[in-house]
Amino acid sequence: MKNLIVNFIILVIFVVTLGVGYLIADQYIGRAPEQPINFSHKIHAGTNEIPCMYCHIYAERAKVSGAPNVQRCMGCHKIIKTESPEIKKLAGYWERQEPIPWIKVHNLPDHVDFTHKRHIKAGRKCQECHGPVETMDRVTRVASLKMGWCLKCHAKYNVKNGRECWTCHI
Amino acid sequence: MKRRYFLKFIGAGGIGTGLGMLFGQAIKPPGAKLIPYLIPPEDVIPGLANYYASLCTQCPAGCGVLVKIMDGRAKKVEGNPLHPVSGGKLCVRGQAGLQALYNPDRVQGPMRRKGARGSTSFEPISWEEAIGEVTTRLNDLSAKGESDKLYFLTPELGGHLGKLADDFMAGYGSSNTIKYDLFDYRNLRYANRASMGIKAIPHYDIENTKYLLSFGADFASTWLSPVGMSRGYGEMRQGGHTGRGKFVQVEPRLSLTAANADEWVPAKPGTEAVLALAIAKEIVDSGHYKGSDLKTWKKLLSPFGLSYASEVTDVDKKRIRHIAKEFMSTRPSLAVGGEGISGYSNGVSGLVAVNILNHVAGNLGIKGGVQANSNDLFGGNDADTVGAGIQTLINAAKESKVGLLFHYNNNPAFTTPGSAKAADALKNVPFIVSFSSFLDETTALSDIILPSHTSFEDWGDDFTNPAPGFQVATIMQPVVSSVYKTRSLGDIFIGIGKAVGGTAKAKMPNDTFATHLKASWKRLYAKDKGMSASSFTFETFWRETLARGGWWNEKSAKKRKLSVSTRSVARHVSKEPAKFEGESSKYPLYLLPYAQAGHLDGRGANIPWLQELPDPITSVVWDSWVEINPKTAKRLGVKMGDMAEIESPFGKVLSPVYVYEGIRPDTVAIPIGQVHKLYGRYAEKRGANPLEILPSTVDTRTEVYALNSTRVRIAKVSRPGDLVKMDVYTDELGRGIVQTVPTGGQFKKSSHH
Repeated sequence: MKNLIVNFIILVIFVVTLGVGYLIADQYIGRAPEQPINFSHKIHAGTNEIPCMYCHIYAERAKVSGAPNVQRCMGCHKIIKTESPEIKKLAGYWERQEPIPWIKVHNLPDHVDFTHKRHIKAGRKCQECHGPVETMDRVTRVASLKMGWCLKCHAKYNVKNGRECWTCHI
Repeated sequence: MKRRYFLKFIGAGGIGTGLGMLFGQAIKPPGAKLIPYLIPPEDVIPGLANYYASLCTQCPAGCGVLVKIMDGRAKKVEGNPLHPVSGGKLCVRGQAGLQALYNPDRVQGPMRRKGARGSTSFEPISWEEAIGEVTTRLNDLSAKGESDKLYFLTPELGGHLGKLADDFMAGYGSSNTIKYDLFDYRNLRYANRASMGIKAIPHYDIENTKYLLSFGADFASTWLSPVGMSRGYGEMRQGGHTGRGKFVQVEPRLSLTAANADEWVPAKPGTEAVLALAIAKEIVDSGHYKGSDLKTWKKLLSPFGLSYASEVTDVDKKRIRHIAKEFMSTRPSLAVGGEGISGYSNGVSGLVAVNILNHVAGNLGIKGGVQANSNDLFGGNDADTVGAGIQTLINAAKESKVGLLFHYNNNPAFTTPGSAKAADALKNVPFIVSFSSFLDETTALSDIILPSHTSFEDWGDDFTNPAPGFQVATIMQPVVSSVYKTRSLGDIFIGIGKAVGGTAKAKMPNDTFATHLKASWKRLYAKDKGMSASSFTFETFWRETLARGGWWNEKSAKKRKLSVSTRSVARHVSKEPAKFEGESSKYPLYLLPYAQAGHLDGRGANIPWLQELPDPITSVVWDSWVEINPKTAKRLGVKMGDMAEIESPFGKVLSPVYVYEGIRPDTVAIPIGQVHKLYGRYAEKRGANPLEILPSTVDTRTEVYALNSTRVRIAKVSRPGDLVKMDVYTDELGRGIVQTVPTGGQFKKSSHH
């Protein structure tokens, strides 16, 4: 009888933690979702050394860095490597005049008021948060993007008002 | 607990979590999408706002606005600080204009009627089909030689859109443009032309006056140009440069404006004109008036003696004399007349009386008084003062003289008195084309709808009327791309004109209204020295003008003498007060339907922000009410919030009671704007519409329906009321919230000016 109860409790704990694990998975394992086009940062930013802000055009001017607009992609790929199957996918989107539905790798909750502009202006490198993107074929999230992680960096660089709640939660 | 069990539990938890996370990683949907621009718009940076100068069209005042645009969406509207009318301020209707743009109940594309008239059963069609259908109808009509059976029912279309519509109508061969709005100041325009010979509405210089006497002009919420006038009022009271001016409001009900006044004079409804002329007589008799025609004025005003006026108006003799004394001795002073004097069966006479009062006190053509507005820039901002009005259309429709009706953005089926039977008359019209953006009571009667843009999506301009003493032209530009499949009204006219051919086509030289507007402004630029001097080329001028929001030049103000002669006004002066329907024995209470700050003539009712905005006096939301004096309420046995039936000889409406000290005991008031039968989810089936129980009395000189023209009786009904208001008490219950200090007469000595 006693064994039955213990086994039952074990089962309950297992099921509950299974659910919890399922829900919090995104926050602890590096996210690397499959994208509609198999775009490689390694080729673009690594081998060819294209600067980040050549494509992510809003990073130093706005909160968001901006996924590259399709016209920017086609600016090069009208000529370069047009026979590759992945580039053909891109050309397909352009012909249909459809934006490419990329999957977000880095996603912050709505109650965080993060702005790229300030971080770039403060001299931070993109890689400090996004990891060595220029070595990745498919982008993987390397940072947890949790509050402790933010604060650690704010402390390291001695950010003015870096620990104030309202600096990020406005 | 045994150590063994503890370890087992921990193990189960750890394995569970781990498996859960792996599991989650494997099958969870990938999450939010990141949709890039296909081609990024040049002036858009995500999350950063741009501000565009434009024009507000929520009422005819013509305020310049700045619209905040972020990521291609309009987020906020504020006044344009450079604009001489709005001066960086904006009223509540202007602010709420965004919810007209993004309203879910807009007509989202061209539609053709499917079911019976008024059944609101429509089917979507293409723009080509719609223009084709209208063209066929127009050609059929002109083939029969009945071009003049085309009527165009519209509110005053400001600026070049109005001219384009006129060109189209003239080109097609019809002169029947009927301009109508419930509050379009036809009486005021008529009275001013009749007494002073001016076409444009003059500038009432509240800002620089020291004594303002207002006859029912609710300028703080709705009258004429509420934003500009409220700004002027603020300057007059607290601006400092003229000293605090005095303000006296004459009206039977304490409106928001009256609540701001130093003195409230609740004259008997319909007798305001008599009061104005009695004050004028006092001034003339006192020797203040020095004109050479003194004798004829004395003769004209002789019937308005103090005893008669006091008896008719229910205002104390001493008080009339006191107002007259202050009005003439305070320089400059100013009298204005609003709906509270023009909304009667003899509305024009009331406004003429106000002009007479200004004339004899010496307030015409001076700073702080009434200043003429010139309109040379636009070749006479010729608001039609004596042309055909809404009643002409209703009669023509009844007699089947209307073959085809174009209808745009006004709603006579809602805003005309119930007994005028406008909707029934319109049902008599064989084919109605509507350009309205909302399916309101009138648009629902149409056979085909070609929905037009809102002011946020369209080009346009407006030559502000009334202007602030100098000419103001405001430009409207599209600040967002169109939300639905609507079109610019100008483009619709151009499209139809070109399709119809003949003279109508010849009158449409440009392909789009945007190019038409720019070309028209190029002609203004060539003509007007002030404009051409301001920049080297038209292109730079146009860019600057768009950025600034329009064109205005304070130096263009011309001083013009104004006067009123006894000869021109004699036929408008009458000793009798205004007439009311219903015998006073059966219907003891005067009914005053009035425009509420948020709703104006009912156009604000489909905007939830305006519905949930508490009325500034009663604090009621999402509803209408009937204001009753506590004495009357006691006599009738009704309390705050009880349901009451208000009955006139022409019908009855139900409304909850609001017991209000600020209304005469012989008067009740109901705000206009609620209980739309149609007009979207927010406007329908709430409140009461006082217009339903009005007689179709008009001032025959202008065809303006008299709002204050019937008596009513009130009975309590057993149904419980459902009045929702934000404040609980209407008095301070002895808490000393409103502090008063007795002056004890210490100011008497220093009453020099």
